[in-house]
Amino acid sequence: MQVYLPIAEMAVSPWLMASLGLIVGCLSGIFGVGGGFLMTPLLMLIGIPAPMAVAAGANLAAASSMSAILGQFERRGVDLRMGLVISLGGVVGVAIGSLLFGLLKSMGAAEAAVRIAYVVLLGTLGSSLVWESLRAIARSRRHVKPQSHARKTQDLAHRLPWKVKFPRSRLYISVLPPLLIGIGVGILSAIMGVGGGFILIPALVYIIHMPPNLVVGTSTLQVLVTSCTTTFFQSVANGGLDLVLSGLLIFGGVFGAQIGVMLGRKLKGEQLRALLGCLVLIVALRLAADLTFIPVDLFETSSPGGGL
Amino acid sequence: MRLLVTLFGLLLILAPQMSRAQSAQVSAALIDDAVLVTSSFTGAKVTVFGSVRGGGTGNTDIVVTVRGPDRPAWIGKRKRTAGLWIGEDRVYFAAAPTFFGVASARPLEQIAPKDTLSLYGLVAEGQLDIARRSADAPQRKELEAAFVAQRQRDRLYVEDAGGVRLLKGDLFRADITMPDRTPPGLYTAKVMVFRNGRPFQSTLSTLVVSKVGAERLIFEFARDHAALHGLIGVAMALLAGLTASSLFRRFAPA
Repeated sequence: MQVYLPIAEMAVSPWLMASLGLIVGCLSGIFGVGGGFLMTPLLMLIGIPAPMAVAAGANLAAASSMSAILGQFERRGVDLRMGLVISLGGVVGVAIGSLLFGLLKSMGAAEAAVRIAYVVLLGTLGSSLVWESLRAIARSRRHVKPQSHARKTQDLAHRLPWKVKFPRSRLYISVLPPLLIGIGVGILSAIMGVGGGFILIPALVYIIHMPPNLVVGTSTLQVLVTSCTTTFFQSVANGGLDLVLSGLLIFGGVFGAQIGVMLGRKLKGEQLRALLGCLVLIVALRLAADLTFIPVDLFETSSPGGGL
Repeated sequence: MRLLVTLFGLLLILAPQMSRAQSAQVSAALIDDAVLVTSSFTGAKVTVFGSVRGGGTGNTDIVVTVRGPDRPAWIGKRKRTAGLWIGEDRVYFAAAPTFFGVASARPLEQIAPKDTLSLYGLVAEGQLDIARRSADAPQRKELEAAFVAQRQRDRLYVEDAGGVRLLKGDLFRADITMPDRTPPGLYTAKVMVFRNGRPFQSTLSTLVVSKVGAERLIFEFARDHAALHGLIGVAMALLAGLTASSLFRRFAPA
């Protein structure tokens, strides 16, 4: 059976779309990421034009994170204040990033620099996540008391001005680090076209030193705010939102997110970080392969329909 | 599920004009001049019936083309700088047919020389209207060829050497298949008659491919109320998340 997509102007299999949504939604539920880094290329592989793929991925992320976050709220796994500060930074970052994007595109070399820097960033991030969490797992096997990520009082975040209380995380730190992290993630997502949830999680753990049980929920909140904004702007600016396509993805995605939350609850903090590290490494390797190997398809074309 | 056009009746308004036996007459008609794009649309078959009457002797060939609406397009070739694949060379087309199907009873190159075919608009390469800013691009030829090859892979540009069947008498029938990606718009169907490799006569008819029902409603709503459309997308996502979450809480309590 095939269903015709009115905006993308092509037919797709509804079961395939719902399954894709289920898998990506499951990832959102486990890690609190949006999954755009997986969804957008997969949809484009099927032949869906880029603007529609981006909008549908964002719409799916909004639904999955909404599905996941209600359970997180119930288990008090979200630091609402922290999440909102980061989201605010994220929206500002997306605006800055969109301006930068146009600028970078006009300079060919800068685009190359950004892409290489991104691969290096993800590569180091992924390998250090895997390395650190493997060591933590090994330590807990030997019944050594786990190294605490609790903040040392002499940290930079304590000395910066505009201190704010984050009662849920039991932190009293400057508002600047979370805000800057939000802006950074926003800029990256505007330039690279992926949500950046998988950069946010390590930042929350290693820079903000958030309690581990709050990390996934707070990241989910940020994904929820960002993806709703992206869905709206993609629809208005590019006319890329195909409600039939995102409806099919969402149908699978919301259930996948619930399954993901259940799976995620069974994982310990360090296991979660190890898996996330592997995911980040895979993305980094894929981007690196894109840069170095001869592409499968040398040519890229506009779609015959609306997506130019 | 192929949208099969099942409409009978029609065609062939033949005025026997024996006195002008030397001037051949081609008449043709589409079985259906409207293709409806519904939620189950996966492509369509366009069928042309017609006849060629009278006119001298020699090899008669019938070539039928169906051409979709023109739209701007581009193609890029990724390029390698310092060992890394970064950026691409792009060529823009001011207009390129979204669909271009040619049907004949034998391979086109046996019917007429390539330049004749191109002159009469039967070759896809000749139908690409390059944008002014890309007119002097050094890779233009290569990229144009790649563009046509890509659309041939997507079955948007098709050349079917068995698409025209000669029936009893002077009748012929041509079938051209359009894939699900052919966009809505005004299509033209052209029937050309070649005699001894020379173009002889042609007729033109049009057909409309249009979205109907829910597909049309959604498309027009998205175009006319972009902001509201975006908000509905967000609302749909939030509502779906809410529903799934409460369903799970009821049936699979943690």
